[in-house]
Amino acid sequence: MHKHSPVNCIVPPYMLKNIATSGTPVQKNVAMETLKLSAQMRGQRQALADFSAATFRVAAGGKDRVVYDARNGSSLPGTVVRKEGDGPTADVAVNEAYDGSGVTYDLFNNEYQRNSIDGNGMRLDSTVHYRRGYDNAFWDGEQMVYGDGDEDLPEDERLFNRFTIAIDIIGHELTHGVTQFEAKLQYFQQPGALNESMSDVFGSLVKQYQLQQLASEADWIIGGGLLTENVNGVGIRSMKEPGTAYDDPVLGKDPQPGHMRDYVTTISDNGGVHINSGIPNRAFYITAVELGGFAWERAGQIWYVTLKDKLTATSRFQDCASQTYQVAGQLFGAGSVEQQAVRKGWAEVGLNVDGGGTPPTEPGGGCLEALLRMIGAAPAKR
Amino acid sequence: MDVERIKFERTGGFAGMTIARDLKPDDLSEEQVHKLSELLDDLEFENLPEQMTGSESMPDEFTYTITVETRRGEHTVVTGDASAPEKMQELLQFLNRLARKKKNP
Repeated sequence: MHKHSPVNCIVPPYMLKNIATSGTPVQKNVAMETLKLSAQMRGQRQALADFSAATFRVAAGGKDRVVYDARNGSSLPGTVVRKEGDGPTADVAVNEAYDGSGVTYDLFNNEYQRNSIDGNGMRLDSTVHYRRGYDNAFWDGEQMVYGDGDEDLPEDERLFNRFTIAIDIIGHELTHGVTQFEAKLQYFQQPGALNESMSDVFGSLVKQYQLQQLASEADWIIGGGLLTENVNGVGIRSMKEPGTAYDDPVLGKDPQPGHMRDYVTTISDNGGVHINSGIPNRAFYITAVELGGFAWERAGQIWYVTLKDKLTATSRFQDCASQTYQVAGQLFGAGSVEQQAVRKGWAEVGLNVDGGGTPPTEPGGGCLEALLRMIGAAPAKR
Repeated sequence: MDVERIKFERTGGFAGMTIARDLKPDDLSEEQVHKLSELLDDLEFENLPEQMTGSESMPDEFTYTITVETRRGEHTVVTGDASAPEKMQELLQFLNRLARKKKNP
């Protein structure tokens, strides 16, 4: 369960860091003070120093990847083991992190004219071999972090392989970085589930782009190959049929809904961000298959522009439905097959694109907006 | 620290799967109990703030809720991978391993 402190209850550190980097002098001061307070509360005296170093590690050119090895420790980023232009190493996780972040960069750069996570050539840092027996991967606001799964358990007890094994996981984590610089969707309830869904959408597109697969050929599975042979499952999530990725005596059953009527209300997992993301995931899948061809072209373009130009920190599913429909109209024309495909995609998960935006009624939205207004940084994208 | 029970819950993560375990000294080896006590004592667990998270979870990080029960009462700490201080990482790893091993009884 995630709880919020009364002071810095909502504004994520990455947003504060963005404001501290690019805001007006007054905004920078307020953001830096809040960051200091936050760092003190967490006992992370090093946080601000780390941030200062990280903020300025921006490359002027194009693709620039660095892979680090945590050597089973928890200190980030770890030791440099492969830099841009270096040949493959003997370590498969290092090479997967390097290659996967490269394909992700290529998709965003070639198809959406986006130069890296921040749109400005930001270096792509990945750390592999994080801790021991760490069955997870995450984006820490500055870099990707990958564990080796259950490598420390006896083989017949292992459930997870290394997290670099699936390229869509790499694309997923990097897309969290893109979202951090664009819509800044707060990681809680519906905005958080949209944040997760955007990462699944572009994660899956990275895999399809690498394989040059048509929408009709793709498996639409997130995390394929991640589960070991001991598990009855094909991956972690299915965008095509949410709720069917695994059904296992140890792991349980995939809990994702694929329709609004099955929306799960919970306080766990930041309000079910990894659960309810099944709904917008399926809307994208239906849109892409309806359009046919390569999913990253028209469907991906509509979702990317929506993420970049329309969604804000507190956007909800209905907002995303309405805005993807608007964007499809702007890009391809009112009444176009693209716009009709978007309408169908959302209709099949129980959302009407004509429904208009819904107010952010979930806890926290008001606090976030109040603080952003206080420092004059409220999103104004619509 | 004379631990009577530890309630460990791990939520979130890329897979979004929750692990919740009740760990009692009787179910652990003597070595494990000793190690746990040592880690908790080093951290002065009962004096840690209840919230050791950032202002918001980082995408896909695990969130941990750890409740330690002793004769004197219980104390709960909530923390995350990215926000947990370095000195707490060993305890998280240790509890993670105990909890994951119990997946296959």
